[in-house]
Amino acid sequence: MDYTIWNVAPIVLLPFFAFVINAFIVKRFTSLAVLISCGSILGSFFFAAKIFFDFINKFSENYYIHKTFTWFDLSYANMPFKMDMGIYIDNMTATMLFMVTGVAFLIHVFSTYYMKEDKRYGRFFVYLSLFTSAMLALVLSENLISVFIFWELMGFCSYSLIGFYYEKEGAGNASMKAFMTTRVGDVFFLFGIIAIWSVVGSVSFVDIYAAIAAGKFSGLLALGLPLATLAAICVFLGTVGKSAQFPLQVWLPDAMFGPTPCSALIHAATMVAAGVYLSLRCYPLMEVGEITYAISIIGGITAFGAATIALVQTDIKAVLAYSTISQLGYMVLGVGVGSYNAAFMHLITHAVFKACLFLSAGSVIHSLHDHHTHAHVQEMPRMGGLRHKMPYTFLAMLCCTFAIAGIPFFSGFVSKDRILGDALLMATHSKWYWIPTILGFAGAFLTAFYMFRMMFLTFFGEPRDKDLYDHTKKEKISWNRNIPLLILSVFTLGLFYAGSLTGQGFAKVAGERYEWFQTLITKPVVSEFSSRTKQAFSFSSTPSGLNFEKSQYDSSHGLSEKEAHHVHTVHHIGALVSIVIAFSGVFLAAMMYLWRKWNPGFWVNTFSGWYRALQNKYYMDDLYIKVLIQKGLLKLNNVLAFIDMGIYDRYIVDGTAFMNRVFFTVAKTTDDVIVDGSVDLTGKSVKAFNVILRTIQSGKIQVYFIMIILVLTGYIWKLSL
Amino acid sequence: MQGTSNLLNYILWTPFIGLIGVLLIPKAKENLVRYWTLINTAITFVLTLVLYSKFDTSIPGMQTAFNIKVPWISSFNIFYSLGVDGISLPMIVLTGLLFFLCVLSSWTVTKQIKAYFSLYLFLQMSVFGVFFSLDFFLFYVFWEVMLIPMFFLIGIWGGENREYAAIKFFLYTFFGSILMLVGMVALYYKMGAGVDSFNILAMHGGKFAGQTLDIFGMTFSFSKLFFIFLFIGFAIKVPVFPFHTWLPHAHVQAPTAVSVILAGVLLKMGTYGFLRIAFPIFPGASVHFSEAIAWLGLVNVIYGAFCAMAQTDVKKLVAYSSVSHMGFVMLGLAAMTVTGVNGAVLQMFNHGTSTAMMFLLIGILYERSHHRWIVRPDGSKGFGGLYTQLPKYSIVFIIAMFASMGLPGLSGFISEALIFIGIYERFTTITVLALIGLLLGAAYLLWMFKRMFFGDVIEECKNYTDMNTREIIYMLPLCIAVIVFGIYPAPVLNIMRASVGNLVEMLSKF
Repeated sequence: MDYTIWNVAPIVLLPFFAFVINAFIVKRFTSLAVLISCGSILGSFFFAAKIFFDFINKFSENYYIHKTFTWFDLSYANMPFKMDMGIYIDNMTATMLFMVTGVAFLIHVFSTYYMKEDKRYGRFFVYLSLFTSAMLALVLSENLISVFIFWELMGFCSYSLIGFYYEKEGAGNASMKAFMTTRVGDVFFLFGIIAIWSVVGSVSFVDIYAAIAAGKFSGLLALGLPLATLAAICVFLGTVGKSAQFPLQVWLPDAMFGPTPCSALIHAATMVAAGVYLSLRCYPLMEVGEITYAISIIGGITAFGAATIALVQTDIKAVLAYSTISQLGYMVLGVGVGSYNAAFMHLITHAVFKACLFLSAGSVIHSLHDHHTHAHVQEMPRMGGLRHKMPYTFLAMLCCTFAIAGIPFFSGFVSKDRILGDALLMATHSKWYWIPTILGFAGAFLTAFYMFRMMFLTFFGEPRDKDLYDHTKKEKISWNRNIPLLILSVFTLGLFYAGSLTGQGFAKVAGERYEWFQTLITKPVVSEFSSRTKQAFSFSSTPSGLNFEKSQYDSSHGLSEKEAHHVHTVHHIGALVSIVIAFSGVFLAAMMYLWRKWNPGFWVNTFSGWYRALQNKYYMDDLYIKVLIQKGLLKLNNVLAFIDMGIYDRYIVDGTAFMNRVFFTVAKTTDDVIVDGSVDLTGKSVKAFNVILRTIQSGKIQVYFIMIILVLTGYIWKLSL
Repeated sequence: MQGTSNLLNYILWTPFIGLIGVLLIPKAKENLVRYWTLINTAITFVLTLVLYSKFDTSIPGMQTAFNIKVPWISSFNIFYSLGVDGISLPMIVLTGLLFFLCVLSSWTVTKQIKAYFSLYLFLQMSVFGVFFSLDFFLFYVFWEVMLIPMFFLIGIWGGENREYAAIKFFLYTFFGSILMLVGMVALYYKMGAGVDSFNILAMHGGKFAGQTLDIFGMTFSFSKLFFIFLFIGFAIKVPVFPFHTWLPHAHVQAPTAVSVILAGVLLKMGTYGFLRIAFPIFPGASVHFSEAIAWLGLVNVIYGAFCAMAQTDVKKLVAYSSVSHMGFVMLGLAAMTVTGVNGAVLQMFNHGTSTAMMFLLIGILYERSHHRWIVRPDGSKGFGGLYTQLPKYSIVFIIAMFASMGLPGLSGFISEALIFIGIYERFTTITVLALIGLLLGAAYLLWMFKRMFFGDVIEECKNYTDMNTREIIYMLPLCIAVIVFGIYPAPVLNIMRASVGNLVEMLSKF
């Protein structure tokens, strides 16, 4: 297949035009607007699928499409400056496009069920369309500036959707918190982009890879750090903000203020994953900047820390929010330990199962209607036994819980296990990597525990709020509620990603296409990029003239037999440990919440200090908001503003008027006492002189003006003589 | 130098003809005055667009086809000399646009309409004069003349503390003007008695490098001394810290349209002065002082943002945000790289559109509420739940706010990004610190938005009406400009590219 603008642009432009059209018609033709939104994303999905299957058919790890056009050009004489925009599609992009459009379409469909009764039903789809087009454009971006542009646009959509219920004061706080926290990361990201620009002279990924291969970063310093390290840290901080990593994770739980489908799309499946996607794209930079260990630590802390907080949450969406943070931590951990392929696979598998989890949670929340307060119920203590009321939702959610908890045969097991296996492998090479590895395994145990705790509290046992339970209608199958859940839950099977049931890559599924994921998604080899060519973006077809060899699955990972044996051994140990850990987590949850053999209250009482710390999210919100912002920033602002108007302007600027008055008084006193008193003899001439003085000191600004001109002209004329 | 077209004359004098027309209309016919002014400014705006369409983007210097030069006061070699290049054109189109839209916004003015609109047109003429002048004396005349309508527009049609603000504005600017005057006179004598005594273009190119001046027995570098004089003169207009305190007073007290013009166009006259006069005439001194200018710009960015965050009066908040945003322009200018200066000129244009939107929107709100408190002095809310009460208004407000904080996809981002890329090459530390400004910029705007727009509608906001057709009409062009130039900035950048490149190349030799 040959690519022109017609193959690629519709992926982004269809949702974008849907946004533009809907922004105008949404008030009057709500149903039509919804139809346009859903139709456009379905169209995008078909275009993306075409590209995806084209790439799968090529089955070459080197296959790519790279087209650019000039956005603007400021070159003058020998000072070149050109900003390009364009698309870069490789296997990773194609997979991402397919996943994003697919998940987004299903979430659109589900939203027609979930948001139907909302008074801003149409408005919701306007934001969804803008968001989807920004996300797709980000995925297609060929350079960092364009990533940054769409990155921030998604931030804006996220802001609008978190603040969707703007009648609530809390929505305003949550949306502002989300935007500002990610903005902290974004500002660093922008600085990183600029630093890279100063070295490479472009921010195209391909150019950056080529510059790294050419060693352009070596030996450069900026602000006392190696420039590559500085740039890598800054770009990674962008990821930290967007993907809610420690210490900027505080915004994501609050983001649950938005409607549940948008939580599914933005704050679980796609936007937050964009941060990890960026880290993967910039992986060579992270390596050359030598910050991969720091990344793995951040990932480990986030994966474990968020999982601990999730243990004590009672709001079903909050549990899922913290599990999102924790899972993103695994992806970042994967980036840190060089597990490029597995980190990306976890991104994809997580997107699918987390979207499904959120939609299922949405399905539960939507059905639970408190007829006293007329609000939907999200609190798990009021649920219980719901599997009898909504069996289909329950099944979907169960599949996803299996996936996220790392139960074998499910997608989460395949991807998470590979990350942990690679972490273990790193730990066998360097002892410092034991820290993130252990954090990762411990987090996996907690994940299995809190996810099944959630399942047991929600769907099993006796209904704890009998009144609410009795008023809940039994789930009837409706297409826009259950079909998205069904499709997503089917895709929680590991089969689709690993090409085999066990995820260990031995079974052939369809001809030679086994292990497609591990074969096609590979770390970019930077030395190859200097020879790559960009094509001009055009409406007509331009044959690429490049031939790509089909890739073969290499079970020894390009290593010698002995090393490969070591790798496989470690991976098998890792897989075994993962399985044991997952099942013990499930067992513990069952003992506490299903069979009620062990009382969770005992643990709460024993570790009450820790329990309070977890409930307060380790006091990080308090640190940021109460200490840094309220005690620091706002106080500083008030002091500065007071100095500006209350002191500087009032006394120093306006003080010149006072000085004038003093001067005038002195002059007048001198005039009266000394001149008038002692030289009264020359009364007449003095009087005349006073008349002149009075005329001049008339307060007329024009007169002063003329005098100043005269004096200065004379003075400078004299100087120049 | 006489060009083939009289277009600049038409643009400059159309407001003057309008002014005479306003004076001739009987006092009772108020609507006629409004429509006459509207048509007049519309014609002017169309003329500026004609100028844009005929502009040759490949010429780095003045567009000779439009040059006009006739002797004015021959005994002092003063010429009536007009010209346009890529740096002034964006400002001229912006002036045409904003003055046109602000007539619509001034529709609700009822006090002495004739006087208001005649001063308004007089202001427009003097602003065009500043941007067109190629003769220093002519430039100075327009620069000073502009103070007269501004003084009265603030002093008569302003808020409760208008006289204090008007006098403050006048004296501050006048103080700067005197320094500029000294510089001008000094340059006049240095240039000698030829026809070029006041010719700005003839002074360009570092002619005064190495010359010295003895005052009070001390030897000064001519260019450094008078660069400082000119710098302070222009810096007050920008306003650069520490000469900024007139701005919050003037903005808060001025009527809506005048605030818009003040923030949208008049502030840019200061930075335009650097680009047209201070930098090219004293290139050596400007390079010498560029780091100091960058630090001042940084102080503007950070200090303005901090002060903005503490404000409880929404108009004052936006006024301080102007201080902060003009700091970015100063940073771009101080970078003296092709990206930095292009970014600065683009930021001048973009800030003109986005801040004009903010002030217009605050004006619209003020007409309903008659106060501007985000939080009243007694701690109660001034506004609340406006999102629910005024949905259309809120959407426009969101566009303006995000454009102002530099959200990518809206115009402010590209100029800020260019400025940062430009300044990084020269001052890395300043770049890092200035990025804090981006963060704070988002913080104070979003915080203001949260306090005013989210939550339940408070009692006194319940009778506010949403934007009417007239208000939508004058907001729409700015919304479009902000979005279109955010997505595709090339139309503006292409115009300024050659002129800015030319200037930067000249500066790079020093």
